[in-house]
Amino acid sequence: MNAPRHHVVVGSGVAGNQAAETLRSRDPESRVTMITVSKLPFFNRYDLPRVFRGERDWRKFIIYPAEYYLDNRISLRRATQVVSVDSARRTLFLAHNETLHFDTLLVASGASPYMPAELVEYRPQMHGFGSFRDAIAAADALPKDGHVILLGGDTIGLDLGRTLLDIGCRVTVVIEKHTFWPHEVSADERPRYIQALTDMGFEVVDAAARGQIAAVRAGEPGLAARRVLFRDGSEIHGDIVMPFFGVAPALDFMLGSGVDIERGLLVQPNLRTTNDAIYAAGDVCQIWSDADKRYRFYYGWKNVRAMGELAAHNVTGADEPWVPTQDEGLQLTADGRIHSPFWEYA
Amino acid sequence: MSKTDIQIAICGSAGEGTIAAGDILRSALAGAGYRIIAFDAYPAEIRGFGKCVARLRVTTEQVYSLKEKSDVLVCLNDEHGIPHIGEVRDYGAVIYEAKSIVPLAEGAHVSAHIRPGQVPYPAHIRELSERATGGPRSRNMVALGYLAGLFGITREPFYKIIEAKFKKKAGVAEQNRKAFDAGYDEGKATFQLDDVTFAPPEHKSEAVMLNGNAAVARGCMDAGIDNFFGYPITPATTIMEKLAVEMPKAGKRLVQTEDEIAAIATTIGAGYTGARAATATSGPGLALMSEMLGLGIMAEVPCVVFVSQRGGPATGIPTKTEQSDLNIAIYGGHGDAPRIVIAPTNVDGCYRCAGKAFEMAERYQTPVIVLLDLYISNRYETVMLPGKPPFAPNCDKPLAEQDLGPGYRRFALTDDGVSPRALPGMAGGMHVVTGLEHNELGRVNEQADMHETMSKKRHEKLKAALNHPDFWPCRRFGDEGQVQVGILAWGSTFGEALEAMYRAQKEGIRCAAMKVVMLSPFPTEAVAAFIDSCDAVLVPELNYQGQFANLVQSRLGRQVHRYDRVTGAPMVVEDIVEQVRRLIPSASQRAA
Repeated sequence: MNAPRHHVVVGSGVAGNQAAETLRSRDPESRVTMITVSKLPFFNRYDLPRVFRGERDWRKFIIYPAEYYLDNRISLRRATQVVSVDSARRTLFLAHNETLHFDTLLVASGASPYMPAELVEYRPQMHGFGSFRDAIAAADALPKDGHVILLGGDTIGLDLGRTLLDIGCRVTVVIEKHTFWPHEVSADERPRYIQALTDMGFEVVDAAARGQIAAVRAGEPGLAARRVLFRDGSEIHGDIVMPFFGVAPALDFMLGSGVDIERGLLVQPNLRTTNDAIYAAGDVCQIWSDADKRYRFYYGWKNVRAMGELAAHNVTGADEPWVPTQDEGLQLTADGRIHSPFWEYA
Repeated sequence: MSKTDIQIAICGSAGEGTIAAGDILRSALAGAGYRIIAFDAYPAEIRGFGKCVARLRVTTEQVYSLKEKSDVLVCLNDEHGIPHIGEVRDYGAVIYEAKSIVPLAEGAHVSAHIRPGQVPYPAHIRELSERATGGPRSRNMVALGYLAGLFGITREPFYKIIEAKFKKKAGVAEQNRKAFDAGYDEGKATFQLDDVTFAPPEHKSEAVMLNGNAAVARGCMDAGIDNFFGYPITPATTIMEKLAVEMPKAGKRLVQTEDEIAAIATTIGAGYTGARAATATSGPGLALMSEMLGLGIMAEVPCVVFVSQRGGPATGIPTKTEQSDLNIAIYGGHGDAPRIVIAPTNVDGCYRCAGKAFEMAERYQTPVIVLLDLYISNRYETVMLPGKPPFAPNCDKPLAEQDLGPGYRRFALTDDGVSPRALPGMAGGMHVVTGLEHNELGRVNEQADMHETMSKKRHEKLKAALNHPDFWPCRRFGDEGQVQVGILAWGSTFGEALEAMYRAQKEGIRCAAMKVVMLSPFPTEAVAAFIDSCDAVLVPELNYQGQFANLVQSRLGRQVHRYDRVTGAPMVVEDIVEQVRRLIPSASQRAA
């Protein structure tokens, strides 16, 4: 009797969980293991702005109760980092010195907040928003009705900004090339969207007009806790500074695996990498687009979930191509507010 | 005022400092003002084999037992930690080594087994120990520091205990402190995701933390013990170890004899001279002592025997707990050999029973067995000890001058069955003492009526022990009047029984519990009244035969429901509650 197939999913976000669920339903006899560096089970990161409304209990954010994983026989391994992959031997090497064999590997490790190289050294002066812990730390550092400076202003940041305005904070967006990321906004349309930000209550500072961001420093005694300095010598002050420059695929562990990588894992429309046993889904992969004649990323909760499902389908015998499921255009509502379809989730 | 009720389990291999870590943790938390109940499980092997688990329950309110689920598990070792992950409740914390130095096979790391509801905390235990102290030996202290830092417990109580523990080895204390600090800093920097909260105690209590055996030793000292004779045996040995430190300071004598037979013989000899004398052993030792105990009973010599039960028969499971020596304690030996047997139900009771045992032995001129078990012997609790020893220094029946003289009757028949006792060397007190049946003078007499008379004397005099001053032979807790279910328990099991009673009451079950401390002579009337006030009675105990249930049924002729466990582990509260729930239909039937 053959041993059951072992499907390993790296990542426990939207794509990873959808993949695990699909693998379980399509291959009931298999072993399904999901590995994540997070200490938390799958939680709704789109809901993280609620932390600023005072919701501090992470249990209120999780999608599935603990029993879900037990009932579905999904072995969830948290606080576990994959350090490398031997694709020939189908083995994962874990940071705590354990090896794990897989029959199929589905990489859904997502992405981490991107930080422009020139600002990396100022990271200690900024508050991230990439995890539950980051959100708590930022909320703790923000006084009531305080002033938040959003650097960049991607759609994740602007989503948070909406909440911050709603709870009475002052919010300044330092706009630059990553503003509205991942939406591609043409130069012609950009002023309209920036005006919309102002209309929504954001204060807008144009980094380009000030010679770009030069540094983020601690505030002087008696002033706000943080200063953002520009190359023209000007500066703005706020209580916390949060970077929102988009995200970069989290795939360090795949380097040296033999799988082709550009910025993300390169996959065919069926989400298979250059190794037959390895698939990818979500923010970590670039999918070949016949229309664009290039590998490209697809973002948004709906897209990512669909990718997780498709990858699992194809891992278990199907061979279907990726079809985007989500509108990717930034919108302006009738009352002049911006709206990103990536803010929609269910 | 928020309450703290946290159970922590530390798990590792023998030799990894698991029990030492538990000791420091409970001492530090007791020093910080928390109430503690703690119990260590360890293997029979000395080092390098087997699993050690130190468990402690930290509270701000009085509790009576350990919980079945822990809130925090600290794994010093993957192999031994993995089987215990299931004991951590949902949203509880699992602290473990972040990185193994040896390659691990699939599933051999703790992280592979942490359940989705539990919170994982990988800590760099080995690495921090090596950085702080140059070696891995202080991993236990790193883990303790991590735990304290994670939960925001101040460092000072730990420093105090580390310094006290290693006061003669300043260098070792410093190394341990460094390791603790290294772990503390990492723990403090770790984002806490579990819901474990240490609320500060309302006020710092004057309680001291003792385990059952230490409390026995303290009781012996406060009762004025003169001589102790013993032979080491798990789990009684630490009574002798404690006394070996304390008795010489008070000018008293302790002798390690060549075996248990010598120990009981010398104890009886010392008791005969008027000394307050005791020995301590476990079931196998009691078996060896049984013949000499008969001599003590026949010669009406006061002495105290502490018996800490362990899993048997034979060598059995010597480092696991059991309550299976009740029969030998009450009935062991040949002939009609009545003796007093008392069994404390908690650490405070160990202190009180130890002291009272000397009073009773003197007052009723008989050996007294204090029946402990491994769980209570090794269980730590914070207890309030009285400022002044509450034990009478001399309980001998007064000896009148006219009693002495050529016709002195050492075994005089009296109304209460107790004869005025002359000690060796006392003028006019010369008498014969023998293991043979004897008359009032002590001279051999095998006549039928004499044997009947003296047998009656030896049995009947003990009944007064049921009314011994300041001693509760048994005590009822919980709902008054008629109840649906009564839990009748003895020894260490009573703590779990009491918690089970409170839990059952919360479920709306009318419930009461009775602890029986005096097992011989048996408090028949009070126990009968308790049973009659219950629609059903449950007797949980840690032996296969239901020895206490048998005792109750034989003495009272009442039916009880048995719940007998022999797992080597203490009784589980929830298991008792489940038995109580099951009794509700039969209780209703009986009530109807």
